[in-house]
Amino acid sequence: MRHGLSYNTVESVRARDPNKLTRQPMSPSMLQRIASGDSAAVRECIDQYGPLVWSIARRLSRTPSDAEDATQEIFLDIWRSAGRFDASQGSDKVFIAMIARRRLIDRLRKSSAEPPMDPVEALETIAWADPGTAAETSIEAEQATRALAELRPEQRQVLELGLLHGLSQSEIATRLSMPLGTVKSFMRRGLIKVRENMNVDAAGVPARV
Amino acid sequence: MSDTRPQGQPDEAMVDLLIKQVTEGLSPDEQRALDVLDSETASAYARDLERAAAAVTLAGSAPVAGATEQPLPAGLARALERQASEHFASLDKVADIAAARVGAAARVGAADKARASAIEPRSHRYGGYGWLAAAACLVLAIFGWQRSPAPQVAPVAEVPTPSPPIAQPLPPEPPTAAEERTALLAKSDSLKIPLAATKDPAAAGMSGDVVWDPVTQRGFLHFAGLAANDPAVHQYQIWIFDAGRDKRYPVDGGVFDVPANAAEVVIPIRATLMVRKPAAFAVTVEKPGGVVVSGREHVVALGATG
Repeated sequence: MRHGLSYNTVESVRARDPNKLTRQPMSPSMLQRIASGDSAAVRECIDQYGPLVWSIARRLSRTPSDAEDATQEIFLDIWRSAGRFDASQGSDKVFIAMIARRRLIDRLRKSSAEPPMDPVEALETIAWADPGTAAETSIEAEQATRALAELRPEQRQVLELGLLHGLSQSEIATRLSMPLGTVKSFMRRGLIKVRENMNVDAAGVPARV
Repeated sequence: MSDTRPQGQPDEAMVDLLIKQVTEGLSPDEQRALDVLDSETASAYARDLERAAAAVTLAGSAPVAGATEQPLPAGLARALERQASEHFASLDKVADIAAARVGAAARVGAADKARASAIEPRSHRYGGYGWLAAAACLVLAIFGWQRSPAPQVAPVAEVPTPSPPIAQPLPPEPPTAAEERTALLAKSDSLKIPLAATKDPAAAGMSGDVVWDPVTQRGFLHFAGLAANDPAVHQYQIWIFDAGRDKRYPVDGGVFDVPANAAEVVIPIRATLMVRKPAAFAVTVEKPGGVVVSGREHVVALGATG
């Protein structure tokens, strides 16, 4: 009989109960083990987060070959940054998604060719997870999903194109035939809404910024 | 007009810049504009926005009910494991060199306890390299980079466990980068590519070459006459153009510094990705730490194979 819960299971349990959103660092996390040189943790990380990183990289890369290169660079960043992971600041999944986004945005911004994405009609429509499913992913994904549900569809679409497909605000404006100012406004409101949701603790008190 | 923003809340212009930073990146001009604004407020707010963007990314990446995540391609998964192994092994080597030297110094000083912990065996771990890396920095600082103008990682002989607590000879010195380059050059598979200086002022009078072994993926940049750099301002970065990859994204070969008054310099090339068919090598000037994709504004040297 197993005693105790794995890290992810505990996260899921906490995420399902919004009254128990207070964070308690669990130790040692996978990233902390990686930082201490644990080879098993490295393999676990690749197994557990490889598909996530690969999924983000494919969306934010021009070609499958670029996505492969980007994935390797992202994992190298993860090995290098694991020691900076602070469980009190968020889940390891968000930490890894942040590293992935940073690297991919850097690659996208510095590439000088045409916009990376297909016309908006051809873009894959994102099926946002419902809060219950998102809770299985991470507490932050659940918070984001709840915030997104409160946005207008066109606001959600702007966030979707910008954050999940890597389009710049100008590209979004062009593709949606929307004034750039409106795109900026939608992006700002949407992200701030998500940020606020994430900074509210179980008692409904905004967390210190 | 008074500012009614809550304390710690950035103004709208800053928020717009921060949002652009975390969603698509900033141009150099925008980055400079952000830098002159309140950095403490900006960095805290940017961190929150970055977390929010990551959370949205996770929400959009979560498999919907009934669907399964697309797994990593098998070849990529193997490449990641190999890369991780090499990354941690390279840290171990640095740590081992430091441990050997620290351990030897400790033996001379009869500090048995320090020696024992320095050579603690590792089994399933890549290595508890945290403090050893710190020791490496200290040792390298003390030794003042005497053997090479650039950091290098080289194999070191196994440190024997000394039973009697008496002074023992230092373990064999690892080969210098120049020695390793010479050995690599002697291999039949290795390539030697002459480097040509560009018109960049930093490269005036520079000459050199690259030695690269496609089998072991190891190589060395060798040159003289490249201007010394201030690592706090910029660093040189090596790039490998792979005929098997998109030419817009050469493989990063690592950053290096050129100390003042350096004569001949040999720098190990550390390719971050597998180089299938090396077509050219280049050296650029970049910000400290290097970049992921070079803007190629300051190319100082180039060399093409065949």
